[in-house]
Amino acid sequence: MKRQLIAAVGVAAMVVGVAACGSSGKSGDSAGKPANYNGKTVTAWLMDGSAPQAWQDGVKADFATQFPGAKLNIQIQKWDGVGAKITTGLSDNSVDVLEVGNTQTAGYASTGGLMDLTSAKADLGGSDWAANLNASSVLDGKQYAAPWYFSNRVVIYNKALWTKAGITGTPKTLDEFYADLDKLKATQGVSQPIYLPGQEWYTYFGLIAGEGGQIAKQNGSAWAGNLESAEAKDAFGTYTKLQSYSTAPKDKDEATPPQTDVFSKGDVGAMIGLGWEAPAAKDMPADNVGYFPLPGKTADKPSGVFLGGSNLAVAQDTKNPDLAKGLLKIMLSDKYESMMASSGLIPNKTSLNSLATTPFAQAAIAASANGATTPNLANWTSVENPPSPIKEFMTAVLQGADYDSTAKKYDDQITTLLGQKQ
Amino acid sequence: MRRSLIGRSWANIVAVVLFVFFAFPVYWMVTTAFKQNSDIISKTPVFLPLGGTLEHFTTASGAAQFWEMVGNSFIATLGAVLGSLVIATLASFAISRMKFRGRKAFVLVIMMAQMAPWEVMTISVYMIVRDQSMLNSLVPLVLFYMMMVLPFTIWTLRGFMAAVPKELEESAMVDGCTRAQAFVKVVFPLLAPGLMATSLFGFITAWNELPLVLILNKSTGPGSAQTLPLWLTSFQSTFGDDWGATMAASTMFAIPVLLIFLILQRKAVGGLTAGAVKG
Amino acid sequence: MAVQSEPVRVNSPGRSGAQQPPKSRRPAAGPSLLSRIAPYLLLLPAIVATLALLGWPLVKTVLLSFQNLNRRQLVQHTTEWNGFDNYKQLLTSAEFWHTTGRSIAFTAVNVVLIMVGGTLVGLLLNRLGSKMRLFLQIGLVLAWAMPIVAQTTVFTWLFDSRYGVVNWFLNQLGWHSMATYNWYSSQLSTFFVIVLLIVWGSIPFVAFNMYAALTTIPNELYEAARLDGAGSVKIFTKVVFPSLKPFFLGTTFLEVIWVFKCFTQVLAINNGGPERLTETLPVYAYIEGSGNSHYGMGSAIAVLTILMLAVLMAYYFRIILKQEDEL
Repeated sequence: MKRQLIAAVGVAAMVVGVAACGSSGKSGDSAGKPANYNGKTVTAWLMDGSAPQAWQDGVKADFATQFPGAKLNIQIQKWDGVGAKITTGLSDNSVDVLEVGNTQTAGYASTGGLMDLTSAKADLGGSDWAANLNASSVLDGKQYAAPWYFSNRVVIYNKALWTKAGITGTPKTLDEFYADLDKLKATQGVSQPIYLPGQEWYTYFGLIAGEGGQIAKQNGSAWAGNLESAEAKDAFGTYTKLQSYSTAPKDKDEATPPQTDVFSKGDVGAMIGLGWEAPAAKDMPADNVGYFPLPGKTADKPSGVFLGGSNLAVAQDTKNPDLAKGLLKIMLSDKYESMMASSGLIPNKTSLNSLATTPFAQAAIAASANGATTPNLANWTSVENPPSPIKEFMTAVLQGADYDSTAKKYDDQITTLLGQKQ
Repeated sequence: MRRSLIGRSWANIVAVVLFVFFAFPVYWMVTTAFKQNSDIISKTPVFLPLGGTLEHFTTASGAAQFWEMVGNSFIATLGAVLGSLVIATLASFAISRMKFRGRKAFVLVIMMAQMAPWEVMTISVYMIVRDQSMLNSLVPLVLFYMMMVLPFTIWTLRGFMAAVPKELEESAMVDGCTRAQAFVKVVFPLLAPGLMATSLFGFITAWNELPLVLILNKSTGPGSAQTLPLWLTSFQSTFGDDWGATMAASTMFAIPVLLIFLILQRKAVGGLTAGAVKG
Repeated sequence: MAVQSEPVRVNSPGRSGAQQPPKSRRPAAGPSLLSRIAPYLLLLPAIVATLALLGWPLVKTVLLSFQNLNRRQLVQHTTEWNGFDNYKQLLTSAEFWHTTGRSIAFTAVNVVLIMVGGTLVGLLLNRLGSKMRLFLQIGLVLAWAMPIVAQTTVFTWLFDSRYGVVNWFLNQLGWHSMATYNWYSSQLSTFFVIVLLIVWGSIPFVAFNMYAALTTIPNELYEAARLDGAGSVKIFTKVVFPSLKPFFLGTTFLEVIWVFKCFTQVLAINNGGPERLTETLPVYAYIEGSGNSHYGMGSAIAVLTILMLAVLMAYYFRIILKQEDEL
């Protein structure tokens, strides 16, 4: 899902984290064994920006107590070339425990590089994991990873500008939202009512889900692109309408330029983004930033959203499977999941949702009710890899290409990518 | 050769225009790096950044393990350049000065070797290095970077070597030098421009290399064998629209190359103007 | 001063002609065993390095191109031969042939611009007074010394649609529709930026070489031509070009190779977009191979790229090998 994440969540996370001490004190698995782990090292790869420093420090400390003598080496990997890094990392045995994006997990699981954790699931706390969050960790009935944290996009808006435009309250339907955007457009000092680049396919994906559609559909055992479907077309109508309020480039995604930077300048009415994309306090006071779920066509439910997130997995070839699983257990424990929740992310257990009290998290959790994830397919990664056919499709249609024929063209590409031999 | 004043000034004007064309991107990179953010993102470009800031450089060099990466880059690059110079000097002497069976074949191989598409051979290189358990080390980087520049170095040095009149060497041998001594005392000094020029090329190539190091040296943290291109590219994607910091990083990345250029360039000019290689 | 591909071979025909008679003369030591194996000893390190560090990966690439090698096989270290499947799939795909055609056109345009531009700048350097020459040389060195990764970031910034100085400049010139022009929106304008970047970065090399080579032409030749009443164009075609033919051959040879293989600039500027319309063969191989994790397929594209380059270069190989005979 994301490129770089939450950076400013450390402090809050630590406070809550210490208070919410969970079950990690004693692990049933390792308690009975002689505690000699001298000279053993576990390497964990986390992505740049995923885990707050306090979270890492806490995990390290707990690991040291629980496995005396063993060394935990947490390496933060940059997003550049992440696919090549993980694939080769699994191949050359340079990682034991790793963070994997939820849309990518099936792909790595199908390589045989991830350890089957089915038998360890209960010990890891798996009985309480939210079923929809756990779905991406499972392939062919086997548990290849464990859900770590999730998030979804909401509308992030500039309260001052909204007040200036004379808007009171947040919209409950898309039509109300359009009306608000029209008001913003007419307001002085607003450069664009909403910032929405042409290739923000996560939002488009959410809209398709909201229409009850699928971005790819199953035909027997094969999968095919489904942009031609009526639902996808309707959803794209909504996207086009929203995008027409933006002067953002039609051929870029939300990361180039980072929409945070654009929004932070203070003259943009709103954007659709994740919690960590909210402006830093030095750029915009936190109480000027509001959040609400992207409304649906009717007031009874918000629009659909793409449910992104990360899972944690153990490499099949790890030399210290017990230590790796032990580490996983610590990382997934309520103590550390609470830290993730209090920083505004959705934790793996519904029971911890109440800790996610940031304004962003409240909007996000409301929206996540209507959340969906990409099909759990080994080849799905290829669809997301640049050049992604979905993104190119969006740009083409936004720039005036005919919907149906363009959709057909890119559906064919998606079908080919999904059907490629492994 | 005297030319008319008009002819001269016409040439001078073109020279100034060309200077701007070639130097402007570099100038723009350096000045952007020093500008305040408000001056960077402004509808009217600021050409002279008075009241600049060093903040972008602090941001850029504040990345984790920055100085370690600087060290690694220098080791990998210098190792590759020195290695290729030594090997290439020996080989180019043989092909430019000696007749032997297989010489043509060797020249052909060297020409073909220049065509090697390294960027798309990364996966085979990776598998080889992986199977030799040499990942996360500077040694494979030095070796493969050396190989990337070796064909060009041999090719170029051979040209320089062929340009040194044989008579010089032979007269030294008449004076009682062995062939090796004659080479070291007479030919080698005349090769200075060639050696400089090829080391420049080697330095730039090795300094820039990204696709290999990306998958060979994935281990981060203290003691990692990562190099500066990784820093520069991750920098771009992490800071995205922060052009000041990106340009500061690019400037810092370019400085060593520029310096080496300036240092070597003068010697190389000296070598040529001495007239020794004009034949 | 410059990196010379074929420096001063200008005079070599004359010189080697003069040296033909003492062909049988041997080094003072005589034809001892040592002097007979000396060339091989000198070449040994180069041969060993080339075999181990280039030959091995190259053979491996060829082998991989006959395999079905994706993420699963890479992770599990398994080998699945699939014969000519990769090649069959490639050679029958329109995409591959389009990319090939585009690569060749791309190379031709770039090389022509680089060689013509570099030659003209080299001639100018030769014509300038020493101060202006140094001045222009500094400009050239700045461009030449820029690391490619830094070059691409700078060009991306120059051509940024909102705050890029190029759009500002065009707007100032009165071309107002360019004020926020998005250079990466079409194939042609994206290629324009890429070609400009490559030509900008490559001309200094050719110009310096050209200048260095020009200084090796004896003044008498110019004077003789001028006495015959030749103008500058004629001097170039009658004196400069023939003397520098080896230089042109050698440099064009290198530029064709470099541009054809050129990867970083094309990928970094717009990732081969829009709609994959600026992908050249190396970028295509990279996206298929590393990007989509079809390493066998990527290797097959790499092998075909090498073969194509070898065919394109065959003519040069012959000429250059012929020159070798004269040595």
